[in-house]
Amino acid sequence: MRKLLVIGAGLSGMMAAITAARAGEKVHVIATGMGAQHWAAGAVDVLGYLPGEHKPVQAPFAALSSLATHRPEHPYVLLGEQRLRQGLAAFADLTQMLGAPYYGATELDENMLLPSPAGAARPVFLAPEGQIAGDMSRSEPYVIVGFHALRDFYPMMIAENLRKQGHQARAAFLPIETITARRDFSTVTLAQQLDDEAVVVRFASALKRILKPGERVGLPAILGMKKHRAALAALQQALGAPIFEIPTLPPSVPGMRLFLAMRRYLENDLHARLDPGVTVIDSETEDKHVQWVVSETSARPLKHRAQRFLLATGGILGGGFHSNHSGRVWETIFNLPLSIPQQRSQWFHPEFLGPQPVFLGGMRVQQDFRPVDFDNHLIYENLWAAGGALAGADAIAERSLEGIAIASGIAAAQSMIEA
Amino acid sequence: MKKVTTEILVIGGGATGVGVLWDAALRGFDTILVERRDLNHGASGRFHGLLHSGGRYVVKDPVSARECIAENKILCKTHPQCIEETGGFFVVTPEDEGDYPDRFVQACADTGVPCEELSVAEALRREPRLNPRISRVFHVPDASIDGFQLNHATVQGAQQAGARILTYHEVVDLLMTGPEDARTVVGALARDVARGEDVEIHADLVINATGAWAGHVASMAGVRVDVIPGKGIMIATAHRLVNTVINRCKMPSDGDILVPAHTVSIIGTTDVRVADPEDLRIEPWEVSLLMEEGEKLVPGFMQTRILRVWAGVRPLYQAHYAGASRDASRQFALLDHQERDGVAGLLTITGGKLTTFRLMAEKTMDKAAAYLGQRKPCLTAETRTPGAEHGFYWLGHRLREVEDGRLQNQLICECELVTRGMLEQAARNNPTISLDDLRRDVRLGMGPCQGGFCTYRAVGVIHEMRLADVLESDTETSSWDMANVQSPALAKPALQAPPAENAASADGLYNPNLLLHDFLQERWKGVVPIVWGRQLKQEQLDRLIYLSLMNADHLPDEALKSPLSDFYRFDVTPSENTEAPHA
Repeated sequence: MRKLLVIGAGLSGMMAAITAARAGEKVHVIATGMGAQHWAAGAVDVLGYLPGEHKPVQAPFAALSSLATHRPEHPYVLLGEQRLRQGLAAFADLTQMLGAPYYGATELDENMLLPSPAGAARPVFLAPEGQIAGDMSRSEPYVIVGFHALRDFYPMMIAENLRKQGHQARAAFLPIETITARRDFSTVTLAQQLDDEAVVVRFASALKRILKPGERVGLPAILGMKKHRAALAALQQALGAPIFEIPTLPPSVPGMRLFLAMRRYLENDLHARLDPGVTVIDSETEDKHVQWVVSETSARPLKHRAQRFLLATGGILGGGFHSNHSGRVWETIFNLPLSIPQQRSQWFHPEFLGPQPVFLGGMRVQQDFRPVDFDNHLIYENLWAAGGALAGADAIAERSLEGIAIASGIAAAQSMIEA
Repeated sequence: MKKVTTEILVIGGGATGVGVLWDAALRGFDTILVERRDLNHGASGRFHGLLHSGGRYVVKDPVSARECIAENKILCKTHPQCIEETGGFFVVTPEDEGDYPDRFVQACADTGVPCEELSVAEALRREPRLNPRISRVFHVPDASIDGFQLNHATVQGAQQAGARILTYHEVVDLLMTGPEDARTVVGALARDVARGEDVEIHADLVINATGAWAGHVASMAGVRVDVIPGKGIMIATAHRLVNTVINRCKMPSDGDILVPAHTVSIIGTTDVRVADPEDLRIEPWEVSLLMEEGEKLVPGFMQTRILRVWAGVRPLYQAHYAGASRDASRQFALLDHQERDGVAGLLTITGGKLTTFRLMAEKTMDKAAAYLGQRKPCLTAETRTPGAEHGFYWLGHRLREVEDGRLQNQLICECELVTRGMLEQAARNNPTISLDDLRRDVRLGMGPCQGGFCTYRAVGVIHEMRLADVLESDTETSSWDMANVQSPALAKPALQAPPAENAASADGLYNPNLLLHDFLQERWKGVVPIVWGRQLKQEQLDRLIYLSLMNADHLPDEALKSPLSDFYRFDVTPSENTEAPHA
C-alpha cells in the first residue's frame, strides 16, 4: 500500500493526516514536537485584520477580494473562497464528531469578538464552545474571575479594558486552594485537577458566592483537560449562568485539548501512526521525485520512505525554516526556494506590534499545494506543503493562522489522495 | 513651586554621579542627586560589564592603567556583591603579530598590573572554547562587574548616610546669581518629567556628573565643556561562553573584549563619534564586525544564539582634541569652573570610565570640600556598601531564595528567576514609570524570551498593585534581604510625592496598556539588529502571544505615551555612519 508521510503535527499536518486517513490512506505523521497548537489560543482565526487596517474584519469571506489585492500570493487566493469554506466546515464537523465542538458567530460568516487575556477584542471565526459566551456582541455584564496566585491571568486588567470598550465588567478573585493544594501549579495542572468532578463541585460553590444575577463568568482556560465538556456543563448548570474561558499564556489548554482529541481520533479510530520526537533533517531526491527523508537519531540517521510527502513543518516559528546572521533563510529539509528577503535590513518593521516582512514570505506552491520555484515550475512531483510554511501571509498579524492551516492542510491532503 | 535646599547638588545618576553622592554623604555633606531618567539609564547601564585590571591601557595610557588596578582592588573590597572575580586573559591570536605582547608584559610590570603568562594548554584547559590557534596567553585580574548592582549598592550606601535622590527630574536650568563677570551657580531648576512639576533646588555647590551630557549642563551656566560622545555597541550571547574575561593582546580596538556576565557573555565594543549622546543607533556594520571579531576569540561565535544588542555613549573629554575617539584619553577630567571660567559654585566631572568612578568621586569631593571650606576626609575606599556581606550575588542566590521560599508558582520572569514578591517590592520602592526601570532593578525580561512571558505578567501584577479595590490577597510577601538586588532609588522617599493620586486613572502613568506597549517596544529595540536563527523563532512566538493571543495592538488608550515612549522607538533614519570607518 502506498504510504503518505506527513512531516509536522501542527494544525495543518493533523488536518491533512485526518483527511487522508479518512479516505483510506496509510498515513504516518512524524514531528519534532507536539505541534504549534500548544502555543496558540485554541480558536480558529480566519481573517481578523486586513494589511494596513486597524479595524477588525467583520466578515472574512467578504474581505477576501480585498486581501487578494494586498497579498496576491496569499494561500487564501490559491484556495479560493469555496475551498476555504469547505475546509472550515469540515473542521467544524470534525470537532463535533470529536466531542470538542467549535462554533461560529450567530451571524453567519461573521467574526466574533472575544476577550483576550489583556482584555482586548480578538476577532475569531470559530471558537471552542467554552469560549463562545465571551462574545462581545452579547449584553450580559462580565465578571472575570481569577486567582491572585496564578501568574498567567489578570482579571483586573481584563475587566478594566472591557469597561473602556463600553462593556460592564468587574474582576473577582478566588483562592487557588478551591482547585489545588499544589504550590507549583500551572494552567495545565489546574485543568487536570478540574477533570475531577469533586473539584468542579467545590469550584462551582465558590464561584456561586461571588456571582451576581445576570452576569456571565469569564475564567482562565483551565476547565478540565480530558473532561472539559463535562466540567463546563456541570459548572454552567450549578451556576445557572453563562461561562466562558479566556485563553492564557502558552502552554495553551484549549490548544492541547484540540490536539489531544485529534491525536486520539487519528491513532485510535483511523489507525494512523503519529511519532513525535522525530526531527527530519535531510532528504534524498532523484530528478523530480522525493525518495525518502532522513531524521536525526542518537545512533545513525533514520530513513523514512513514502510515496507522497507533506511538508507541514511550519515557517520560522514551527522550525521549518532556519536563518542566520547573514540574512539567509532556508527551508530545513529540501532547501526549497523561499520568498523571504535574504537581507536582514528588509526583515523588520520598527515597531514590535507592526507587520514584519520576514514572516510574510515562505514557500510558494501551485493550486494543488505542491511547491514551485520562482518560475512557477514544479519542484517535486510527490511533495506537497501546507500551513505556516506557505508564502504570502503574515498569519499572526492578519489573524489567519488557523484558517490557513486548516484549509491548506485539507486541500493538500485531497490533492495527495488524488495523486 | 517646591523649593529644596542642600549643600551639594549632584546632577546625573550614572556611576560617577552616584559615586560623588556616596562620597559626599559619607563625608557628612547634605546631598541631593537628580537624574532625568532612572538611575543607570546612560552609559553606566550600557557597557560590557568589564572591571578593568588596567591591562587594556598599560601600553597606550599608563596613567589610566595605574588608576584601574588601584581601583579594581578597592572595589573588590567595597562592592564584592557586584563583582565576579573571573580574572582575564590577554590572548595573542594569529592576527595579532608583532612586538605588542612583549611591550605588554613590560608595561604591566611598569604600571603594577599583575600579569602572569600561562601556557596555551593551561589556558585552553580553563577556557575550552577559546581559539586553539592562539600563541600566547597572559592572565590579569580583570573581573566582571554588574553595573546595575554597582549603582544600586552605592546609592544605598549613600542613602544610609543621609543622601537623597530624585529620579525622573531633569535639570532644565541652573540658578545663577552675581554680576556678569562674577557669576555663581546657586542651584538648579529641575522638572519632574513624569508629573510636569518643577522643583527649585538651592545648593552651595553643584556638581555636573552627566557624562556625555556634561557640555549640555555646563552650557546652562554659560560655560563651554567639550565632550566627545563615543558610541560603542555591545552584543550579548544567550549563553555564557567563557568564564574568564577574554581580551585580544593588541592595541585596543573594536570587538576585542569578551566578558562573562551572569548567564551571558558580552562582546564589545565599537567606537564611533556621534554628534548627539542620544544617538544610540546600531549600524549593521557594527554588528557584523563584532560577530566576526567574536569568531576570532571563540570559534563558533557566529553560530551561537544572540540575545540582544545595545549601545552606550562614552564621555571622552579632551580639551583641544579632534581625532578619532578611540585615541582620546580615557583619563577623567575634573573642571573647576571658577578657576577655568570664572563661574563659581560649579564643578564638572567627566571622561574616565566605570572602573575609576570611585576615584573620580574622591577627587571631585576633595575639590568640593576645599571649595566649601570643610576639610572632611574621603571614606569610600574603606567603606563597604550595603549587601557586601553576601558576596557576589548571582542567579544561584535567587534560585536558593526561590526554592527556600517555595515561590515557584510566583515566578514572573522565569529566565531571571524574578518572583512576584521581588517585582512588587521593586515597584513599591522605585517610583518607576516603565517596566524598563524594574528591569534594571530585578533583571526582568533580560533572558532568552526577552519579555515574551513576563511582560504581560509584570503589567498585570503592577496594575493590580496600583488599584485599591483588591478584594483579597493571597500574595506572598518576600522576607529575604534583597538589599543588593533592589533598586534603592527612593527606598526612603524624602522629596518624592507618592505615586498615588493619578495611579488608578485611565490616562495616568501606570496605565497597564501603556506599560505593556512601552516594554514590548523597549525589548524589540535591542533585538531587531541581531535577531536571526533561534532568536527569530523566539520573537515569532512572542508575536504569537502579543498579537494572536493578547491582541495587544488593539488595546484601549493606544494614543497614550510615556516620557520614554519615543526613546523606545527603533530609529530607522539613516545615519552618516553606514560603513565601518576603517573598513
